Amino acid sequence: MSEVKMVGLTIDGRTVRAAEGTNVLQAAEQAGISIPHFCYHPAFEAEGNCRLCLVEIEGLPKLDSACSTVVREGMIVRTSTAPVLEARKDVLEFLLAEHPLDCPICDKAGECKLQDYYDRHGLFPGWFLEAKEKRQKKISIGKGLLLDRERCILCTRCVRYLRKVTGTGELGVFERGVRAEVGTYDDAPIDNNYSGNLVDICPVGAITDTDFRFKTRAWFLEKRPTVCPRCSRGCAVIVESVSGYPLEEGERRVFRIRAGENPAVNGYWICDFGRAGRRDIDEGRQERVIKSASPESELSWQKALADVMARIRSVPGPERAAKVAVILNSRMTREELTLAKRLFAEGLSLDKIFFADPKPGAADGFLLTEERVPNARGVLQAGFSPRLPDLDALAASVEVLLVFGSHLLDHFSEEAVSRALAKIPSKFLFSAHTGPLDRLAEIVFPLAVSAEKSGTYINIDGLRQSFGRAAEPAPGVVSEHEILGCLAAGLGLNVGEHDVR
Amino acid sequence: MSYAPSAAAVKKIDGIIAPYPEKSAALLPVLRVVQDELGCVPPEAETWVAAKLGIQPIRIREVLSFYTMFRRRPAGKTIIQVCRNLSCTLAGAEDIIGFLKERLHVGPDGTTPDGRITLVTVECLGHCDHSPCLQIDGIDHGPVTRDGVAALLEELRAHE
Repeated sequence: MSEVKMVGLTIDGRTVRAAEGTNVLQAAEQAGISIPHFCYHPAFEAEGNCRLCLVEIEGLPKLDSACSTVVREGMIVRTSTAPVLEARKDVLEFLLAEHPLDCPICDKAGECKLQDYYDRHGLFPGWFLEAKEKRQKKISIGKGLLLDRERCILCTRCVRYLRKVTGTGELGVFERGVRAEVGTYDDAPIDNNYSGNLVDICPVGAITDTDFRFKTRAWFLEKRPTVCPRCSRGCAVIVESVSGYPLEEGERRVFRIRAGENPAVNGYWICDFGRAGRRDIDEGRQERVIKSASPESELSWQKALADVMARIRSVPGPERAAKVAVILNSRMTREELTLAKRLFAEGLSLDKIFFADPKPGAADGFLLTEERVPNARGVLQAGFSPRLPDLDALAASVEVLLVFGSHLLDHFSEEAVSRALAKIPSKFLFSAHTGPLDRLAEIVFPLAVSAEKSGTYINIDGLRQSFGRAAEPAPGVVSEHEILGCLAAGLGLNVGEHDVR
Repeated sequence: MSYAPSAAAVKKIDGIIAPYPEKSAALLPVLRVVQDELGCVPPEAETWVAAKLGIQPIRIREVLSFYTMFRRRPAGKTIIQVCRNLSCTLAGAEDIIGFLKERLHVGPDGTTPDGRITLVTVECLGHCDHSPCLQIDGIDHGPVTRDGVAALLEELRAHE
């Protein structure tokens, strides 16, 4: 690797060293000095159109934009002198001259850069007497995104994103001056799998998502990072939820999933498929333990698990290899898989350990992979050789079946699974979502989804990524980790729960 | 609707593009050739130019809508472009525009019902020292007064 040449400069009296080619805005940020900006985004080349990052550079007659100025040896930069502060105020005043100030009904309020910067760098009284331009406020630009031209400050982040990152270029800037506006070409809508990032990068409320619009306020949301479980890329995501669960019927707990930053995996972006994963967290969930013999009765998972242990114990040790089977999946964390390995393969000496995963989809050439599970590498590392069960063989010999997840139905018809399971005396389903398998199981256990768990996934490139709990678990749900630990304890097997990593 | 320029125009366009390492750099002069031939650059021509230069049609639309010298819709036989930029406005351009609207019974970017004259307001014509100024079919006039504009309109009629 070639040495990165470092450049020494002074920013606000502080000596700063930055890699050659860095711009002043980045160099300042690395030194902990933040320079306000709208149009600059680290993923794109500096455009310098918003003028908010103006700074004083010694030797230059006028203020210059920090984002488009590359650091030079010996450069002296000042970011908070009177002229700079005055210029920031002026720029904000220009932008606000045409801004509708509809913050009370704007989704972006509370996380809007224009709002924040006015608060920090503006605070001037408005003295424009002229009426503001009226523009369209609700233009559908595709994929559930709405464009508000009054709120738009023409930073062109969206336009550049669609040209540089997705390469689809659906948005452009038409007309000029006061009439300039962002739009699609002849109403040809935005149509790519990365459209949701537009909402993330819009510094104001000009692009909003109908899925989030008017649903809550940004300041109510608790933001926690995790790893996206919807494919094997393992993108960093932020799950934004409200605390204070349980909510009223029909209310949301997780309001949105946004892109997290991870230069090693996804940069600043996530796909729309991953973003839509918020529905997996809140919708169609198993809500409680259901025993088919007495569906109405309230039952704790610990109590219900005693039934499972009793059934496993009823099969004599030497016969278990043939008569007890489990179906796992590649959505389980690395830790859970280790536990499963020790419990089922080593502890109970089972032979019949299968995997049923979602069917692969099409990769999109950017982040989304064919594999639609987050931890297929983890399965291999835990020492499993994943294979699908043969339903007939299963039906012919197995007496106790534990099924984790509901993806058997991705590979077999409901009828075929139903026929096979009818021949198995005891079958237990551990699943986060309701589905057709529920009615076939003796007991259904409500599992936690990945956002409600902590653990480790190993992504398609072999990168281990540990994550913490990103949303408070729905009441009554239990993780595979707890289930497996409890089974092991109940069956008197030492699985070394504390060193599963 | 598909569009293809005449063989002569295509030859001219190819000649314009040739020296540019980046084809899209030739966009402005290419659009001029198309507009000279059609009188405007309609959407089907946007598609043709985009394919020719290897860029998306939306890029053409951006440029066409940015510059007042390009037209996206057909114009009348004669185009009167009146500057409404700073110098001209200070020198009374609004009055001249109002006078023309009144005389021609059209709004800005409108064409008289007989298809003879299109009135357009534009940004700087580069003629600030003769403000307020206007341009009739590419010929600058200025500084103009109401009387001067009336005389120019008479002259246009006389040339019919």
